[in-house]
Amino acid sequence: MYIIIAGAGIVGLHIAAVLAEGKHEVTVVEPSDEVVEGIRSHLDVKTITGNATTPRILREAEVDRADLVIAVTNNDETNMLICFLAKELGAAMTVARVRNPEYSGYFVTAAKSPSAARKIIRPKTLGVDLLINPEVAVADEIENVLCGLSPAPITDFADGQVQIGEFRVEQKSLVNKPLNKVKFPGPCVVSAIVRAGKTFIPTSEEILQSDDHIYVLASRDSMDRLSEMLAHPQPPVRSVVVFGGSRVGYIVAERLEKQGISVMVIEQDLNRGQEIAAELKKAVVIQGDATDRDFLIEQGVSSADAFVSTTESDELNILCALLAKNLGVPRSLIVLSKPGYIPLAEAIGVDIAVSPLLLTASRIAHFVLHGGAISATFIGGEEIQAIEFTVSSTAGVAQHSLTEAGLPREAKAGAIIRDEKVIIPPGDNVVYPGDHVIVISPLSTTSSVEKLFK
Amino acid sequence: MRINVVCRYLGLVLTILGLFMLLPLAWSLFRGESCSTPFAISAGITVGLGLLLWRLVPTGEGKFSRREAIVLVTGSWILVSLFGTLPYVLAGTFQSFVDAWFESVSGFTTTGATVFASVEDQLQGILLWRSLTQWLGGMGIITLFVALFPIFGIGAAHLVEHEMPGPQADRLTPRIRDTAKAVWLLYLGFSALEFILLLIGRLPVFDALTVTFSTMPTGGFTPVDLSIGAYNSLFVEIVVTVFMAVAGVNFGLFYLLAWKRQIRQLINNPEFKLYIVLLVAGSLFIMLNLAFSMDVSFGQAFRHGAFQVVSIMTTTGFCTADFNLWPAFAKAALLLLMIIGGSAGSTGGALKVIRVLVLFKYAYRRIVLAFNPRIVIPLKVGGNVVSEAVISGIIGLAIVYFVIMFVGFLVMSAVGLDQVTALSSVLATVGNVGPGLNLVGPTANYLFIHPVGKVVLTLCMLVGRLEVFTVLMLFVPSFWKWR
Repeated sequence: MYIIIAGAGIVGLHIAAVLAEGKHEVTVVEPSDEVVEGIRSHLDVKTITGNATTPRILREAEVDRADLVIAVTNNDETNMLICFLAKELGAAMTVARVRNPEYSGYFVTAAKSPSAARKIIRPKTLGVDLLINPEVAVADEIENVLCGLSPAPITDFADGQVQIGEFRVEQKSLVNKPLNKVKFPGPCVVSAIVRAGKTFIPTSEEILQSDDHIYVLASRDSMDRLSEMLAHPQPPVRSVVVFGGSRVGYIVAERLEKQGISVMVIEQDLNRGQEIAAELKKAVVIQGDATDRDFLIEQGVSSADAFVSTTESDELNILCALLAKNLGVPRSLIVLSKPGYIPLAEAIGVDIAVSPLLLTASRIAHFVLHGGAISATFIGGEEIQAIEFTVSSTAGVAQHSLTEAGLPREAKAGAIIRDEKVIIPPGDNVVYPGDHVIVISPLSTTSSVEKLFK
Repeated sequence: MRINVVCRYLGLVLTILGLFMLLPLAWSLFRGESCSTPFAISAGITVGLGLLLWRLVPTGEGKFSRREAIVLVTGSWILVSLFGTLPYVLAGTFQSFVDAWFESVSGFTTTGATVFASVEDQLQGILLWRSLTQWLGGMGIITLFVALFPIFGIGAAHLVEHEMPGPQADRLTPRIRDTAKAVWLLYLGFSALEFILLLIGRLPVFDALTVTFSTMPTGGFTPVDLSIGAYNSLFVEIVVTVFMAVAGVNFGLFYLLAWKRQIRQLINNPEFKLYIVLLVAGSLFIMLNLAFSMDVSFGQAFRHGAFQVVSIMTTTGFCTADFNLWPAFAKAALLLLMIIGGSAGSTGGALKVIRVLVLFKYAYRRIVLAFNPRIVIPLKVGGNVVSEAVISGIIGLAIVYFVIMFVGFLVMSAVGLDQVTALSSVLATVGNVGPGLNLVGPTANYLFIHPVGKVVLTLCMLVGRLEVFTVLMLFVPSFWKWR
């Protein structure tokens, strides 16, 4: 695919790196000379120095043959304008990052009757095929973790018939055993292991170690039983402390409030505190510094069920989460903008780190699929993808088993879904047209996996 | 620095080189020449060792770094030149190994300086190999390697950018591999076209093939002693002149023309315009000089002047006349063109037109700044502002280029050459031209030079072909520290 990325901030660069690795043609448009120089020495992509809101620059980037234009400059309005122009000039698909929830349609207009209510901005009329709001995505993820059954994020496939859940290996019964000896409560496939910051697809002989993060693929029914076995039973969350009243913090507080959870928001800036206190209904807003231990004790933070740190500073988030843990808060969640910090944070005791960057990259991954792929997501960082394919009658894999069809050795078959039936693991089962198949593959072999389903 | 990763890829490069030895092998078998066995053995050794390196050295993880790319590029060129001597050595073409090394480096770097006293009594297989080394070196064996093998990622970009002549240009395609493929395809296409045209010009198949192999890379080896002049055919001279001129143009512009249909990019390119102006002006001045000071007609003077100017400026080094006998002005003009060279992104060598253009604009800016220090003058080339970092890079390269010339001049004088020969031999090798003046003039050769001098000249060729810094970086101690 030919992809144009406008804006080489953290997200733009990251997506460019992932896509270039995935053997796509990528052009990055960025106004700053220095940044462009940096990209050229790190990525095998074409660069254009200039402003992507001008048609001349877009034409220079050959926007008319672009399969996808991703606008991720740090300005919402710019991003929407880029998408609009790109669409007018002939781009096939456009993605804009829009941070302001008022734009992304998170709020609706006050209409005369509820049925007439509609989103303020309808992306299609702006030529935007996908609006990505990283803040809202982060809030979604945090809400899922805190209110869902599983203590860890779960990704759905095939309308939720198959799920991939992330667990931390803690039980003695699992450690030091090869995977094929471990007795899981239901059929499942361990699709990836994150160990010491590295993600890999395990073989059946892989020996689990304590503190590994494992990504397990299973049907919905087995996933519940797996969660019971693999995760500590989590008491339902009743009270949550949110540190940082930025956009993410505010959305999280608002969502949790709606779920009937008692929320305390700690915000350093008094003015911002007053603003969000006016918007929130039941949540308590406190002005103060969460790095102050005595202050936290005084506010009774230690009795909360979870601590969520959502400030803009990664370092501050990590520090405060550790402090809260130290005070006896059972669960800590943080927002990290630098994905490089995730293994670090999880290694020193933060329970879950949510990265707006990885969530954005994952959403974009859906748009850069070939062949019969219908959805894809990154698991455990950005080296490994779980991809769901529908099998067409002309696909190379049809009427064969996956191994017969030549699935690359690095990749792993996850599941076959036929009507309502789920086959996990696929083993030597033959794939028929119309089936959905989930394959776990490192980025480097994705293109050869995709060929099987073309 | 992961030396094992570099070695693996060196193995692959060697394998490609070995496979190319099959062409002269086939030719010598076809002709029934005695050099077929040496070629078979050379190909066997090169491919065998290459595959062994590729298979046996354990692979490393992670991305290909800039330093590894530089070591691989320079290492490949040295190794390829070394294995390129195998046919000469095994066939007993030369008396000494230094001569074989000189001929091999001169081939791969597309210099075209020879140590053959006479080529016409040599075996055709050897002569074909000699020209083939130029053809391989012209567009770059690393670029070919990147085009053929999918090593993705930034490593490939570093490799190609360190091999391509000229200051770092805009990337043509999102993936460097597509660029490598495109330029090699263009190169192949032009070569095929020239071959056909030379056949139409009644050249024997062997001569047409070897001349083509030496024209497109701006090399300069011919299978005859008198160079292109030996054919004494106006048609052949015109064809060769046109293709030499084409080879001296940035191939990126041809890419835009052929794939994107952007003819404006070619016509409006400031480097291309200056290149053409220099070629035409050089031809006309030399024509006038020849017509007035020697006893030749204007037509004859233009025919010789234009061919020599194109040949020298594109750093090819073919000749149709012995310019050693020309008046002083013509010789001085040729020497100057030798320093300027072809365009960036072409197969030509030397400083490159774009660098000279920037240097002159920079000098002009300094002069204006001398009487009005407050004036702000952006240095523009073709409407685009050249960044200060690029300017300083070009000035730095020019300084090092001239330092190399002076040091080379000293060394060549020390091994006993007269001043004109010493200076022109260094200019002709650093610029990958080939023939110089006086004792190394177009009808002479480099055989008589002391072995030390020959080795120094081969270093000049390598440094010149790999854009100076790529080789010199390896001699900076801090390059080898920290990974």
